[in-house]
Amino acid sequence: MAKLPCPLPEIVHQFGPSLHTIPSGGWVRNPQDEHLVKTHCCFCGQQCGIQLRVNNNKVVGFEPWEDWPFNQGKLCPKGIKRYMQDEHPDRLTSPLQRVEGKGFAPIAWDAALDRVAAEIQRIQGKYGKDSFAVLTGASLVNEKAYLMGKFARVALQTANIDYNGRLCMVSSATASKKVFGIDRSANPWSDIVLADVILAAGANISETSPITTDYFWRARDRGAKIIVIDPRMTPIARNADLYIPVRSGGDIGIFNGMLHIMIQRGWIDHDFIAQHTTGFEEVARSVEKYTPEYAARIAGVPPAMIIRAAELFGPARTSFVLHAKGIEHHSKGVENCIAAMSLVLASGRIGREGCGYAMITGQGNGQGAREQGGKCDQLPGNRDISNPEHRKYIAEVWGVPEESIPQKGLSAIPLVEAIHEGKIKGLISICFNPIVSLPDANFTRAAFEKLEFYANIDFFLSETSRYADIVLAGSLMEEDEGTTTNTEGRVIRHRKAVLPPEGAREDWKIICDIARRLGHGDKFNFSGTEEIFNELRVATKGGVSDYFGITWDKIEKNNGVCWPCPTPEHPGTPRLYENGKFGHPDGKAHFIPVDWRPSAEMPDPEYPIILTTGRVVAHFLSGTQTRRIGALIDQTPQPFCEIHPVLATKLGIADGDYVKVESRRGSVVVHAMVVKTIRPDTVFIPWHWPLDRSVNNLTVRALDPQSFIPEYKICAVRVSKADAPHDAIASLEVQAGGVR
Amino acid sequence: MIRREFFIDYSRCIGCKACVQACAECDTHRGTSMIHLETIERRDTLQTAPQICMHCDNPVCARVCPADAIKKTPDGVVQSSLKPRCIACSNCVVSCPFGVPKYMAEFEQMMKCDMCYDRSSIGKKPMCATVCPSGALTYTTMEEMQRTRPGIPVNSWKFGGEEVTTKVYVMVPRETTRVEIDLIQIQPTPPALPADPYDVALMLEMAQ
Amino acid sequence: MTPTKNPLRQPRLSDATHAMFWGLATASLLILGILTGSRGLRDFDPALVSYAGAAVLSGFGIGYRYAMWLRRPPTRLYWYRGWQIFLAPQKLLSNLAHLARIVWNTIVLQRFIERRSHLRWTAHWFLAWGCILAAAVTFPLSFGWIRFETARANQEIYRAFMFGIPLGSFHLGTPFAELTFDILDVAAVMVLIGVFFALWRRGHDHGAWSVQQFSDDMLPLILLFAISITGLFLTISTHLMQGIYYGFLSQLHAVTVIFTLLYLPFGKFFHIFQRPAQLGVNFYKQAGAAGPQARCHRCGQEFASRMHIDDLKSVQAALGIQYQLAHGMHYQDICPACRRKNLALTQDGLWKSHDNRLRGN
Repeated sequence: MAKLPCPLPEIVHQFGPSLHTIPSGGWVRNPQDEHLVKTHCCFCGQQCGIQLRVNNNKVVGFEPWEDWPFNQGKLCPKGIKRYMQDEHPDRLTSPLQRVEGKGFAPIAWDAALDRVAAEIQRIQGKYGKDSFAVLTGASLVNEKAYLMGKFARVALQTANIDYNGRLCMVSSATASKKVFGIDRSANPWSDIVLADVILAAGANISETSPITTDYFWRARDRGAKIIVIDPRMTPIARNADLYIPVRSGGDIGIFNGMLHIMIQRGWIDHDFIAQHTTGFEEVARSVEKYTPEYAARIAGVPPAMIIRAAELFGPARTSFVLHAKGIEHHSKGVENCIAAMSLVLASGRIGREGCGYAMITGQGNGQGAREQGGKCDQLPGNRDISNPEHRKYIAEVWGVPEESIPQKGLSAIPLVEAIHEGKIKGLISICFNPIVSLPDANFTRAAFEKLEFYANIDFFLSETSRYADIVLAGSLMEEDEGTTTNTEGRVIRHRKAVLPPEGAREDWKIICDIARRLGHGDKFNFSGTEEIFNELRVATKGGVSDYFGITWDKIEKNNGVCWPCPTPEHPGTPRLYENGKFGHPDGKAHFIPVDWRPSAEMPDPEYPIILTTGRVVAHFLSGTQTRRIGALIDQTPQPFCEIHPVLATKLGIADGDYVKVESRRGSVVVHAMVVKTIRPDTVFIPWHWPLDRSVNNLTVRALDPQSFIPEYKICAVRVSKADAPHDAIASLEVQAGGVR
Repeated sequence: MIRREFFIDYSRCIGCKACVQACAECDTHRGTSMIHLETIERRDTLQTAPQICMHCDNPVCARVCPADAIKKTPDGVVQSSLKPRCIACSNCVVSCPFGVPKYMAEFEQMMKCDMCYDRSSIGKKPMCATVCPSGALTYTTMEEMQRTRPGIPVNSWKFGGEEVTTKVYVMVPRETTRVEIDLIQIQPTPPALPADPYDVALMLEMAQ
Repeated sequence: MTPTKNPLRQPRLSDATHAMFWGLATASLLILGILTGSRGLRDFDPALVSYAGAAVLSGFGIGYRYAMWLRRPPTRLYWYRGWQIFLAPQKLLSNLAHLARIVWNTIVLQRFIERRSHLRWTAHWFLAWGCILAAAVTFPLSFGWIRFETARANQEIYRAFMFGIPLGSFHLGTPFAELTFDILDVAAVMVLIGVFFALWRRGHDHGAWSVQQFSDDMLPLILLFAISITGLFLTISTHLMQGIYYGFLSQLHAVTVIFTLLYLPFGKFFHIFQRPAQLGVNFYKQAGAAGPQARCHRCGQEFASRMHIDDLKSVQAALGIQYQLAHGMHYQDICPACRRKNLALTQDGLWKSHDNRLRGN
């Protein structure tokens, strides 16, 4: 469409984000009027078990679910206050249409859906099928993720569908497929506890997957050594046996340097390498030059740290390697992950108790959503959209001609670039807030202003919804039945606690209604999400992520089932690669040599400081949900810029000062937080906030060539002391992008 | 009912404030969080420390209360001040050796951690110890703790000359029998340690 | 402020003797009040003698309990300091004005309870003012301090006396008269409203269930309910049921009242006498805020008034709490936040020296 329909403060006034807070004196509760619904937290890939307290079709609180094995009642602040997203004053309870000059006005469901269908037909008729794109999200349940993929390929027949997991998991997914042959964490979390050494790279687990902390500490109680690699000292790092303050983008230096020493000192498992892997010789050659000194220069740390890491990791009996966005959000994200995986393979410590590897999933269904077809290059079951056999199978399941299924489309960032270039004219999105979450936010905003038509499905009017022509009032996780697949590859049940409020609808019904209007009703004739799941089971049958043997009943009985689970009798596969059997057709794991190269934008005299970004424990991703919960905004009200005293002194900045952080693409003004727990050449800003508080105004739109993940973790900035801003945006409430 | 105890291990804390958020959800002090989560000194370190009421055998707070408003239940849980009695003087707030009671100005009353009496009195875990992701706050059996943790639980303290025994335990090294608080430890960082153990810049230099 | 004498000095009399003295003194004062106020029992209504007797017994109990309470070092110190600050000659006028303000807010309106919860406040306000209203009528009546009689000239005119002094007269059948005679019914209805809200709250609040006790939380409500309902039945019996069961009901009513009077010094109701101490604390805090502040030895921040910390140290000394640290330091000079931080640092230190020892070996 065009620019916002009316001044921003008016939209914020009407639709928030505003805060839902506990009344003074608290809730008065009578458990006798309530019942508990066992379900899972909607935030983050750990998918902790939680019980929601429901009174008269209202979610009124939570109760820990101590019998759920993964978290045993443990929760982080987001999970605890998650119930406050229900009964929220900002909740959309009617479809809305954009009214120029006024903002958004309610519109009847039929009129809204008719308009969406008509615009899809108009744009596709005029500019071709691929000119209408679909953006979906990894916080959707498997059923909805599957439905979105099918909707794009069958109802819209557009190649251009991608999802926000593109900002999250794709580097580790790609690397994992290349090295191990399967895109999934190799082990259940229970193996972490049994490891003698844990190596966590780029994983601020105490803030982004807090429950995993307990697994680390339980291992430490047994005497395990913990190695943490991160440019910032994280709460876990404080108690680690070795903390390596790597320079952002220098991870390959550490991994290759460690491998160099391990080979030199004979801390590798030659038998395992010979029997179960290929390509080791080449990798060994490639790390020859990674002497501790050379590696240390790349990593920006003293060589002694890399030697020490190899000494701890190399000779261990059991070990566990975990990584997360810190090494994945790079223009060499896949290579970073591959280098970490080489350590696992060379040590031979995978596929058995206490030995393994895991990628920590960020989003609620980060694992599941990417398997079901929301990715531009995949069909359900982790099938390859360019593989004729895979296409044929899915075409049969869907009852469509194989040639009607589009080929591989654009991934999220190129898709938005195509919008900017005018190649894509129409968009429907769900569960995605790209205005906040994509890098180079000014570019993203400019792109969204160019859309001819944009339909958005959401339960709150997100920062991205503001650009929509039609907003369809969708549903929260707790308003529908479904399944997700957690970070361990365990498929679990989300249960319906309440009905969507009057005027809002279950997301899957909205999608099916649009498909019906586009003349594909027969392919979207579902009576409920379980029926969608059963179709998904068939669609994934024989695929890598085989769900065929998983039923909702079985999930219930077994506290979740890990895929692959090919038959109803199959117990599921919590631990992959047992007995050295890997996912490639040759049954082996593939060593791949990687060499360090600079990041897309390295610091220079003009922009001399490294900026890295990340999350805080109180907020989830783009903040659409958590910036609306009073207690979480109280905990972390606004973003801040972590800066080392050495750098702060040089720049004349004191703790609490306003600072302007600028890159070649934009700027933010936030408070400085002067701390010794960050590298003196690096500053950090968390990204959950919008507008002038969005660190993505600064980040660089550079992608990994294999996974197309953006480089959120490093770009070049300059930092200066600033005056308190008093413009209209700064005056908004902090949750809306203001600053205090 | 299996006898379970409360154990604190400050060193495990990751400062996530799950305890603070969950505490406000407890029905005996609805909407008001009673637990403290201290950030020791953010500039220097990420160290944080949760503090619940230690539930002393002979509570200093009750002894210094002019209104006789602080009572212990038969199972040893020291309750918030009795609403009809508390005269809001804050004697307990400034006297408690563990710094626990909170003076709630708007209610003109002292409130404090009551170990989620609505839960713990019927055999459930207190909220904070149920949700704590790091195990810094744990409510379990003595046997389980001794079996799984490297340290031992101790509930004997000395503040100057004042000996205090508590219902709640702290995890300490095995040779410790009592935690003694004295001037030496009141420095921001014990002098026995390097000046800045958590300065990343120094780390990068020192290991060169 | 330097106290001229130590309020916490070792008392000469044992606690029980001291309390007995004040109990007897209170009871004697009451008896004396009844004797003089009723003009040598001339105005005393013998039908109400059991009420007066129970009141005297209750007076003994209250005096005894109050004296015992004041023997506690912290209480004694606040009692002494509160009066000292309040009566300071140069401040007396402004103190009186401040007193009026806080009495209005904390005792008349009870705003601090309203902030705890509206429901709790509604219940308490009706209970409190129903009881105060009833007490204001029944005690003077049963002590023979107030008396009504019909005017000699006109049976329709009532005259009221207090301590034998005519207060005025009013016509029967006027709204004022109705109100005067039904004032106890009004009070009873207020109390019943309060009881209803209190029980409703306790029935619907999971948090309240878990900490409530029968003797402290339910018994007082039952007693107030019993007094009010039997009192109301007396009115109903008189006006609507031609006095049926009046004798039995009045005895039952008397039993409930007497039991409550005797419960007064020992149960939850004693807070009626304790609570005004809050006013003293209010003055104490005001004076403390105006004076020098205590700074935490560890963080250097102000955390309480100097007076409060100094007084607490003497209270602690009187109680045998030994917070003296080495090198002349005192634990009471550490603020609560630093105490909490210090606990974690101490544990940290224990583990670090443990690790160092292991490494050393």
